[in-house]
Amino acid sequence: MTNKIRYGDYFREASIARKIISYNDLVPALQYDSEGNALPYRAAKIQLRAFDAYRIIKPYTQVRIVEQMKAVLPLALYLVFFQILILRQSVEESSTIAAGLVAVILGLMLFMEGLKVGLMPLGEALGSSLPVKSTLPVVLFITCLLGIGVTYAEPAIGALKTAGQIVDVTQAPYLYALLNDWAEVLVLIVGLGVGLAAVLGTSRFIYGWGLKKMIYFTLIPALGLSLYISTQEDLKTILGLAWDCGAVTTGPVTVPLVLALGIGISSSAGKKSSSLSGFGIVTLASLFPIIAVQLLALYVAATNDPESIIQAALMSTQAVNTGLLQQTPWLEIVGGLRAIVPLVIFLLLVLTVFLKERLQRPGIIFYGISLCVIGMIVFSLGLNFGLSKLGSQSGGLVPAAFMLHDQVMASPLYGTLLGLLIAFLFAWILGFGATLAEPALNALGYTVQNLTNGAFRKSTLMYAVSLGVACGISVGVAKIIFNIPIIFLIIPGYLVAVVLTILSSEEFVNIAWDSAGVTTGPVTVPLVLAMGLGFGRSMDAVEGFGILAMASIGPIIAVMSTGLWINWRIKRRHQAEDSADDIKAEHRPEEVLA
Amino acid sequence: MSKRELTVLTDLSLITCIVQRGIADDIVAAAQEAGSQGATIFYARGTGVRERLGIVGLAVEVEKEVINIMVSDSQKDRVFEKIYLAGKLDTPGMGLIYVTPLEKAATYIPEEIIEKLASK
Repeated sequence: MTNKIRYGDYFREASIARKIISYNDLVPALQYDSEGNALPYRAAKIQLRAFDAYRIIKPYTQVRIVEQMKAVLPLALYLVFFQILILRQSVEESSTIAAGLVAVILGLMLFMEGLKVGLMPLGEALGSSLPVKSTLPVVLFITCLLGIGVTYAEPAIGALKTAGQIVDVTQAPYLYALLNDWAEVLVLIVGLGVGLAAVLGTSRFIYGWGLKKMIYFTLIPALGLSLYISTQEDLKTILGLAWDCGAVTTGPVTVPLVLALGIGISSSAGKKSSSLSGFGIVTLASLFPIIAVQLLALYVAATNDPESIIQAALMSTQAVNTGLLQQTPWLEIVGGLRAIVPLVIFLLLVLTVFLKERLQRPGIIFYGISLCVIGMIVFSLGLNFGLSKLGSQSGGLVPAAFMLHDQVMASPLYGTLLGLLIAFLFAWILGFGATLAEPALNALGYTVQNLTNGAFRKSTLMYAVSLGVACGISVGVAKIIFNIPIIFLIIPGYLVAVVLTILSSEEFVNIAWDSAGVTTGPVTVPLVLAMGLGFGRSMDAVEGFGILAMASIGPIIAVMSTGLWINWRIKRRHQAEDSADDIKAEHRPEEVLA
Repeated sequence: MSKRELTVLTDLSLITCIVQRGIADDIVAAAQEAGSQGATIFYARGTGVRERLGIVGLAVEVEKEVINIMVSDSQKDRVFEKIYLAGKLDTPGMGLIYVTPLEKAATYIPEEIIEKLASK
């Protein structure tokens, strides 16, 4: 007996339970008023079962937590394992540090989500409507103010303030003064540098100035000031800080917000946005603060003498601060509010009062901003108790590999040469891993690959930048170990960079100089900063700054050299193809013509 | 050069699935396990359920991915079901899926397969 069944029918019966409903039964029937016109239909809110809410929220939070865990955990684990296996020291206060790391992950997650939901729409609204509704000078002025605002909101800025508490006032009075008494002014002046950079970077889009010339004109005063400062005995300790500030400023808040405004302006100014129009601002935003901080240091030196700073510092340590706002959770809460709220108020004022723009979906924006503030608070708590502690602890213990260390029994653990090698390798791997994991680098890689039609591959760029950062951090560590004045590293480094800049094409100059700023994110900066300071302290160095500065110059040189090499290779291949074509054409002219 | 030929495929359907951005790769993987050959993904923006979910709606991405998969009529039910399960489309806000009958299609088909099927 043969019975034929269509496979589809069988399958329908055998698979998951299906019911068939007509969509006609599902859509609402329209209501009509007395004149027979259809009333507009308003959909009711959907009532969710708790289970469904869970199923919606779970993947949403999971993706975001995993993203931050990827940025934080490998680095933290690397430091911990290095400390345990190579240095054979247990991690002190491990539970506090673990809690701090969890706080960093949660805080970053909340902050980034808030940035996306709350701050970015404000910035984009401003970027698209401001250039249309007002004149260029006003636009540039507001851009400058925005630059200051975003610097305050940058999560890594908090790490600078933390670093100030460790500096020894008697050895580096001006550095101490800058990071403590003048800390607020320092952030303001760094912000001013970012603001000016945003203005110039935006003008660059409009008038089509080349980045090369701007780099030369920025480097001349920056290096000149450094040369002068390095001759002043008391002042030269601030050089490391000044050059580090550049790397600190260009983080996850500054880059997208300033770019949104800059691109909005250039497109409404009638310039076609070329593929390169986003570049350059980041470069200037990491160079201008260097000049600004050096100028501030000169000003502080002119108005204060070292003795009075030391006196004041000793006084203030004796008078123990017991105010409520100076204690731990409150300090971070105030800091978080102070970082975000002024920026938000500024953006809102410009949007609503000045531009008379109506705010789209204020509830959601408010929710996003609250997330930003909460995220910032949790992040800075985690920064103080997790990342900075871990970084300075590991950094402080590394010298035990090659020299006598009071906290480590049986130090030096290894011979001098092997120990030094371990210290450099430690720094190198840290820099390489941290940079490769940075999500911003991945995005930059894609842009570059598209820009060069695949000649500069994404992975090539990522490895070049990571290699540059890794070598830079190693050099920075060497600077602390051998007590090399930072000026001896900065001047040759930037001279090499300038020579490469002259040789490279405009596109590669844009990419290379931006890659440094883009790659130093909110996890790397505090960790490296703390590591350097801890390292410096246990070496009895005056200051542990300068590692980030080296990590900024490294990728610039690495990317431009790679760019030159790729160009040379392409040229050689073209020449080979051309000569091959010539030979063919000579021998078989008919075929080529056909 | 030989004369060019065009072979027309019939008995096929288009499965279109709209999900939140970032999910498409999982959907395509599930569809390919069920025997579908390729997929075209494009980006879009969608509204509807998200606005009606209240605060939970924030967890639903506005940016969507639209996946187009051409399947034979005999596989369409299986692929349809696999995608539905892989995309967790039985959760509010996760997306939707539909099937459109196609009249005909044409693409590259290996020579030996055309010969084998034509001789049948």
